[in-house]
Amino acid sequence: MDGGFIPALFTDHTLRVVGLGAGAVGALAGSLGCFALLRRQSLLGDAVSHAALPGIALAFLLTGSRATPVLVLGAAVAGWLGTLLVMAVIRHSRIPEDSALGILLSVFFGVGLVLLTFLQRGPTAAQAGLDTFLFGQAATLLVQDVILVLSVGTVALLLLALSWKEVKLLSFDREFGRVQGIEMGRVDVLLTSLLVVAIVLGLQTVGVVLMSALVVAPAAAARQWTDSLGRMVVLAGALGAGAGVGGAWVSTLGDGIPTGPAIVLLASTVVAVSILAAPRRGILWDRIRRRRVHSRIRRGDLVPPGAGQTAAQAPSGGSIPMASPGAHGGGRED
Amino acid sequence: MSDEMRSSGVAQTGPSSGRTWNVDGDAPDPAVPALEVDDLTVAYREQPVLWDVDLRIPQGSLTAIVGPNGAGKTTLIRAILGLVPRAAGRVRILGSVLEEVRRQVAYVPQRGSVDWDFPTSVEDVVLMGTYGHLGWFRRPGQREREAVGRALERVEMTAFARRQISELSGGQQQRVFLARALVQEARVHFLDEPFQGVDARTEQSIVEVLHELRDRGDTVVAVHHSLQTVPDYFDRVVLLNVRLIAAGPVTSVFTDDNLRTAYGGRIPYLSPTSSPPPPPSSPPDSRSRVEG
Repeated sequence: MDGGFIPALFTDHTLRVVGLGAGAVGALAGSLGCFALLRRQSLLGDAVSHAALPGIALAFLLTGSRATPVLVLGAAVAGWLGTLLVMAVIRHSRIPEDSALGILLSVFFGVGLVLLTFLQRGPTAAQAGLDTFLFGQAATLLVQDVILVLSVGTVALLLLALSWKEVKLLSFDREFGRVQGIEMGRVDVLLTSLLVVAIVLGLQTVGVVLMSALVVAPAAAARQWTDSLGRMVVLAGALGAGAGVGGAWVSTLGDGIPTGPAIVLLASTVVAVSILAAPRRGILWDRIRRRRVHSRIRRGDLVPPGAGQTAAQAPSGGSIPMASPGAHGGGRED
Repeated sequence: MSDEMRSSGVAQTGPSSGRTWNVDGDAPDPAVPALEVDDLTVAYREQPVLWDVDLRIPQGSLTAIVGPNGAGKTTLIRAILGLVPRAAGRVRILGSVLEEVRRQVAYVPQRGSVDWDFPTSVEDVVLMGTYGHLGWFRRPGQREREAVGRALERVEMTAFARRQISELSGGQQQRVFLARALVQEARVHFLDEPFQGVDARTEQSIVEVLHELRDRGDTVVAVHHSLQTVPDYFDRVVLLNVRLIAAGPVTSVFTDDNLRTAYGGRIPYLSPTSSPPPPPSSPPDSRSRVEG
């Protein structure tokens, strides 16, 4: 705004705006991504983001506007249509879920690329900006874009918090919810919509190609560190936000470094560290534990199951029929 | 329509009824069958899995659904609970359609139907049994947590309340699912293979809980795999092989003839796939002959 284009990108103010936007995108995608991960729908995120591309191009074609809300709306509609189509294909055909998602993803993405190429040949210079949606460019975030992300994101997280127990039940045992008379179909629509919103809001920053990584990676990393769904969602949100801010900062360091890859590289590093080093679930931890058990066996100081554990098995101890020794398989090592 | 009634089972629930939300004010007329199924047919891709099943189960009874693999036992429960579409037929629970009595119905699905690596604790899983009466947006509070505590105590899992569910053995998982159903405080309980993959002592304890439920007037219907234990555990039996072969009190229905019809001539006394060896005390045919 003040001064020229290029210098403004590197002032603190811009970095703050961009960082805030990318952080919010990461927090939203990270926390909602937990449910995609737990419900084994990671590929759905991929399908939604790819399906959004033709929506963005069509929104521009129809309105001639490059304003973020317009493009995001187009992306949301297309992403939603894509999701509905996948669900319909899964329900009414014998094509397995992953194939249905894979096919739809490429079809929508192909259509989107064709539309983009077509648009790029057009006369207006403004159209060139559309291809930042491929790999994301956080530097293109304006203050009003960030406000959009923050406000819609807040509403989305609020809805998630309000429907927490329904969403949890949907993810763990949908049929049990149905028998209790909870309308699991509606819960599913709500959760899927929230995921679509999170993805679509992130497209400008991260891009359609890599957006799904920001949905899955923070969730996968967070799962390594905790056994509580609540903590997992908060942690994934924090990791996503961190990756967003970090990636946005990296992309402002050099001219034209796309933000999406930077964010995703950061998030993947966190995943790799988590898979290796997290306590209890991590690979290193597993190795160490196994070695320790080995050496304890060799030293002969490993207590056989049952000897030191009766207190943990049942409150009153003694001959309780349910506290069968075989059922505990040695318990866990604390 | 069935006038058959257990005289002992319908006696009032007494001081230990302990219902927190499903209070006894709306206790159903004991003469109404717990379950009525008429002409129930279920088909997957034009292949009938259940064919024209008619069934009456009185309140205060403990019923085993028995039949060979692929007989439609699980499908019968799932169709009753509206989890698979019915091609035809009518189901009434306590005289009403399912939608009107959902809070009187509890369900214990097969243990393998969920991901036990889900990040949650034993307590939280049992708490899910209270969601139905809470409704959307309302959070479980003190009352619900206390009910969870009681249910865990009943299945002797109190010490495991905070445990992550992936650390449970098969028998413990089954008890958690049973506690989750108990906390629903229902009157009609459907269980899908409650003894699958549990050790003998857990099996005994689950049987005790089921007997308690029956004795306070509740109705229990369980898919069961081990023929040997049917006379010991249950009062009534439903023999199923796509069609209904026979249904009624164990003493009159659990006969060699009926079993042979259900299992196609070969009674697999010694080859039940998923159950421990039977207690030696009760050879099944000695019991099934009683009324014969």
